[in-house]
Amino acid sequence: MLLAAVALMLLIGGIAFGAAKSMEREPLAVRADIGVAVREDNRMTQMALDYIENMESVSGLCRFVKVSEDEGMRLLADGKLAALVLLPEELVEGIMDGRNPSVDVVFPKNARLEAMLFRELTASGAALLRVAQAQIYGAVDTAARYGLEDELSVMEAEIDGFNLAFALDRLAVYDEEELSVTGRLSVAQYYVASGIALFFLLSGMAACQVMEREPAALQRQLARAGVGRLWQHLCRWLCGFLYLLCLAGMMWIVLRAAALCAPENAARLQEFLMSGSGGTAMGLRAGLFLLALAAVSSFHCMIYSVSGSRTGGILLVFLLSAVMVYLSGGFVPSALLPDAVRAVGEWLPTAYLIRACGGLFAGARAGLEGCGTGLCLYAAAFGAAACAAEYCRDKAQLRQAD
Amino acid sequence: MIAATDIVSSYGRRRILKGASFAAARGECVAIVGANGCGKSTLLSILAGTLKPGGGTVVYGGRTAWGYRGSKPGRLCCDREVIRRMTGYVPQEDPLMPELTVYDNLRLWYPDRRALDAELEQGFLSLLGIGAFVKKRADKLSGGMRKRVSIGIAMAGNPPILLLDEPSAALDLICKADIRAYLRTYLERRGTVVITTHEESELALCDRIYVMRDGVLRQVDSGLRGGELVKLF
Repeated sequence: MLLAAVALMLLIGGIAFGAAKSMEREPLAVRADIGVAVREDNRMTQMALDYIENMESVSGLCRFVKVSEDEGMRLLADGKLAALVLLPEELVEGIMDGRNPSVDVVFPKNARLEAMLFRELTASGAALLRVAQAQIYGAVDTAARYGLEDELSVMEAEIDGFNLAFALDRLAVYDEEELSVTGRLSVAQYYVASGIALFFLLSGMAACQVMEREPAALQRQLARAGVGRLWQHLCRWLCGFLYLLCLAGMMWIVLRAAALCAPENAARLQEFLMSGSGGTAMGLRAGLFLLALAAVSSFHCMIYSVSGSRTGGILLVFLLSAVMVYLSGGFVPSALLPDAVRAVGEWLPTAYLIRACGGLFAGARAGLEGCGTGLCLYAAAFGAAACAAEYCRDKAQLRQAD
Repeated sequence: MIAATDIVSSYGRRRILKGASFAAARGECVAIVGANGCGKSTLLSILAGTLKPGGGTVVYGGRTAWGYRGSKPGRLCCDREVIRRMTGYVPQEDPLMPELTVYDNLRLWYPDRRALDAELEQGFLSLLGIGAFVKKRADKLSGGMRKRVSIGIAMAGNPPILLLDEPSAALDLICKADIRAYLRTYLERRGTVVITTHEESELALCDRIYVMRDGVLRQVDSGLRGGELVKLF
């Protein structure tokens, strides 16, 4: 059983390595179409918009499309726009006189990669504007307090020059942040995480002896002896869980052994495992990982209970695991999948499983919100389905026995 | 020793047992015969405590196993401890874990290793001849060997009542004879046997024969065999 698991580990490792390599070779070029709805035909607003559109950092990522508000909403719903910017009346004048009219930016419900990029860009631009305005207000207050109103125009000119210098050298004020279809994980980390998830799911094929349903007669004898159906099911689940835990332990030992054999790689390995962990408690990450194993064990129990035979169970585990991992972005990241596939995939147990495995590397920054709840619910649902399947099968067998 | 009264059971809307009643004394062998699907296995499952009846009572040695108790007469209760202590159950399929050896399978049901070894050397298990293949894996056993182990498992704790659901089905003649010999010894030691069967050779062991038809049991002459008996199905 363990040998089969090791073979599986090697196979999945090879697939993950190949996928990661192919991803690295083909960097993604994304340019988002952003709708801009100007609520009045104001020359100052149009000039500001032209200026922003022609900034190199913006033009490299976005293409502004001038639309009406209704048309923009329609295009956004059709997925033809990554975002829609609604500019209010007298935008520039409002910024200059301190009224600060708000700009509405509408994102689609299931934001794609382009929308994610534009969201980052908008947040950074807004932060820059906030700083510039704070400087101007500070200058006005200082001038009023010390009776330097006459000098205010000079101070504002100084501040404008200072900000323009920064704006031209934008790297000085922007945080450098890498955006990727793999989220906060590097490509290698992402594929290792989805590889681990797939490995644990497929290891159910090697664990068929443990996970398959006991003979009905044995189940009845156990029930007679005081070991009820629920306990039998729990024991089977526990066996599966311990088996997965052994595999996880083996993987950890292999990694540690690799670090010991080549000490010069130890630091790189440590960085690989912990980069982006963001100080998330190790206990929390380990807890989530154990929860993921519990859900996988429950999934295996359900499959073998429903299938009723060893061969059927093995086939079902393979097919369902492969399909679900694909739908959840385990082979190709979700952001690159069609919308319909993504909409289904994000609710599948494998989506939570991949996120939980990714949490080993990136901690809370891997988007673990709701992951624990999702895994708990799926584990319970699989357990209930397994019990129901066994109950129905037992009834049918008793009927047949007559 | 056994008193089963008005046992009722159904699968969905289909009523299988419609008030089956029978009794067996200590040291007596009772056969239940009938056509396929008439409810023999259902009745035995109820007697063994693996299936809840829709109604009726079952009493073993004066102690109620299935019955109406307490202030709510409509509520059927089960005393599993009585069933466990009083009965050994041999179902149609064998309750063995295929990956384990015969010895390990038996160890699941005989918590005391020394008691198990003693049984294998000179107890009931030695009568069944299990000692000869005790180290074999269960999935390598023949049908006859598996059935012997199943009976051995049912005998864990030396229950005074043995419930057998078609024990000779698909077995060779030697194995059938061995099982009959074993049952004869068990009866001589004042054990009670309830057996569902289609085998005439096993009917020869029985003191009473009940025919199950339309969900009820009817006692017939224990000397009836062959076509005469089949006419009553």
